Amino acid sequence: MERLCIGVSGINAVDNPGPGIGVIRSLKEDKDLKIETIGLAYDAMEPGIYMDWLVDKSFVLPYPSSSEEEYIRRLIYLKDRVGLDMIIPTLDAEMPLYIKAASLLEAKGIKTFLPTKEQFDFRGKTKLSQVAEKIGLKMPKTKTIASYQDLMKAIEEIGLPVMVKGVFYKAYRAYTYQEAVGYYRQIVAEWGYPVVVQEVVTGEEMNVIGVGDGLGNDLGLVGIKKLWITSLGKIWTGVTVKNDVLLKAAKKFVQKFNWKGAFELECIVSADDVYLIEINPRFPAWVYFATGVGVNLPAFMVKTAFGLPLKSSRDYSAGKLYVRYTYDIVTDMSVFQNIITKGER
Amino acid sequence: MERLKQLAISEEGFIFDPVTGNSFTTNGTGLFILEALKEGREEKEIVDLLTEKYGTDKENVSRDLMDFMEQLRSYRLI
Repeated sequence: MERLCIGVSGINAVDNPGPGIGVIRSLKEDKDLKIETIGLAYDAMEPGIYMDWLVDKSFVLPYPSSSEEEYIRRLIYLKDRVGLDMIIPTLDAEMPLYIKAASLLEAKGIKTFLPTKEQFDFRGKTKLSQVAEKIGLKMPKTKTIASYQDLMKAIEEIGLPVMVKGVFYKAYRAYTYQEAVGYYRQIVAEWGYPVVVQEVVTGEEMNVIGVGDGLGNDLGLVGIKKLWITSLGKIWTGVTVKNDVLLKAAKKFVQKFNWKGAFELECIVSADDVYLIEINPRFPAWVYFATGVGVNLPAFMVKTAFGLPLKSSRDYSAGKLYVRYTYDIVTDMSVFQNIITKGER
Repeated sequence: MERLKQLAISEEGFIFDPVTGNSFTTNGTGLFILEALKEGREEKEIVDLLTEKYGTDKENVSRDLMDFMEQLRSYRLI
């Protein structure tokens, strides 16, 4: 097998970690693949840049929101410079750009494995109820709003407490009208309209990670429950579960929508009811958990993208524990200097 | 008792529910009851077995078993 050069973003292994390091670690651990990993960073301080035992080279990219042309130019430079064969973007803010540029990148010899724009759009927070219905999950009462009046009306209909959410980022629980208005204004100021107001459902938070091949098949699915989360709501300890309703819904999601690429279903399980909260169109930051239990989804994705065979058994056991930990690196200032002055390491 | 059959129960009394990801601990008596339930024994039969095993009166055993069963129900394990 020849060496593949794969670019992975989200190497910001911080308190709200990006999924990049988990993806890279998974790729490095696959016995059939020989991967040179390229860390795609947005800031010289992203810890992945300094994790040279996993990330072979790192490059700083312009922000996807700055200039699309400049961004693509930088990727093409990377193709020429290191022979980039594929990119696995892992951050929400990058997805629209990569989806739009997928065929251009493919023509330049850089593969991606992403959903279509239509697929990306329908799993958005505003259309999620239609998806939930089609895959047999419930959905908390949800209203999409764009004004103060809408907000008041939504709260009257749903009843307090409510979740006030941005379409892409941020979610707050409001117990009073005043709190809801505060969060609404905060989200509008930071992320703009519309805002989503949602019923609060209580229960166990369970998630499924998977990859769809775009033809209705999944390359593997793993269900987990978060046992311990940080103050930012990020998993710190978790356990694998085999919840039939959850796994069947994930399978249906891939089949019904011919989903292509990585995804994460975020659900709340309350007795026999499973509520769909969100579908993320990318790997979650805990992607290595699946790899650790034998379902190496980043490797499966790369193999499928390059037409390589997959192992036939892609199952896992329930009751495997995931524990995150912190780590320290001490390195020379020259690495930081290089990344600041040259934008690469 | 389908739910009970799904549980992973260790000899030390650690119980893991693979459907919900919840875990519980129980003592030797709890383990004995869970095993009996998994074997499909009726509550009345379990009371007799416990009375014989611990040499105590049926009334107490019956009340404690009822409490334990209620706990299992509240955790949705039966």
